[in-house]
Amino acid sequence: MQLQDKYRVAILSAYALALHGFEAMLPSPIPWLRVGLANIITLTALLLFGFRTAMMITLIRVILGSLFTGTFLGPSFILSLGGGVCGTCSMGVMLMMSRKLFGPVGLSIIGALFHNAAQLFLAYWLFIQRIEAVLFVSPVIILIGTLTGFMNGIVADILIKNLLKKESDSLHNVAQA
Amino acid sequence: MKKALRSTTIADRTLCIVLIIVSCAAMFYSREALSQGTDVVIEVSGKAVYTTSLDTNREIPVEGTQGRAIVEIRDGKVRMKEARCDNHICLKQGWITQGTIVCLPNSIVIITGSGSKKDVDAITG
Repeated sequence: MQLQDKYRVAILSAYALALHGFEAMLPSPIPWLRVGLANIITLTALLLFGFRTAMMITLIRVILGSLFTGTFLGPSFILSLGGGVCGTCSMGVMLMMSRKLFGPVGLSIIGALFHNAAQLFLAYWLFIQRIEAVLFVSPVIILIGTLTGFMNGIVADILIKNLLKKESDSLHNVAQA
Repeated sequence: MKKALRSTTIADRTLCIVLIIVSCAAMFYSREALSQGTDVVIEVSGKAVYTTSLDTNREIPVEGTQGRAIVEIRDGKVRMKEARCDNHICLKQGWITQGTIVCLPNSIVIITGSGSKKDVDAITG
């Protein structure tokens, strides 16, 4: 791995961790409801720097985030890890299949959907083991996930556009100087 | 914001709308299909001795601390049918679909509806 890539991963992971921590402090009407702001960073990394960077950032965020909040290797860590890995993989696979079909918004929604699906499956398999409870709660989670995924996608879209614009501006300036 | 909205592809929008419609439909459907699955928990001296559903009509004999009591479940409702105690507050409460019936002399508690459910098992991060 190049030195440049290491810096990139470190900075993006720091952003993702900061958003992760910020999100934990937001008041929420339902305790397990989360906006998934860190997914903005994952999505940006995926689209700009590729799948490996995005996966690395997700893993760093989940592991360090759980260490900071004191839930490392606990049940919520397992759910978080499964959801994060599955969400990132689904976005990566979708991007690999076609670059034109889905924009950032669509990818974000897919990521949120698979994140939730993986968490529901893990929760059923490891903790709840009552299919009707999972079936009852899953439409609500998927609906909320779609809405937050949509908003995250729009934010990621704006972020990516601004980053690309800045990069091309700086390249332009270098060329002029 | 507007620019970002305009830059979404057709697949993005279709996916978003389809997911919203499907999840809304599933929400209404699941509420209707699963709303009868309410639990009844009968506790004696703080320990759950019976956990059953409101769906099946039945009478359950429960050994309280002062003798046998009978809990009846019928048509999605539950009541204390018989109990050996002095004041019979539990009997006077009648049929309930949600909440608790307490027979203090017998240390019997019947919990049903949202009182017996704990939806949150973990908070994920």
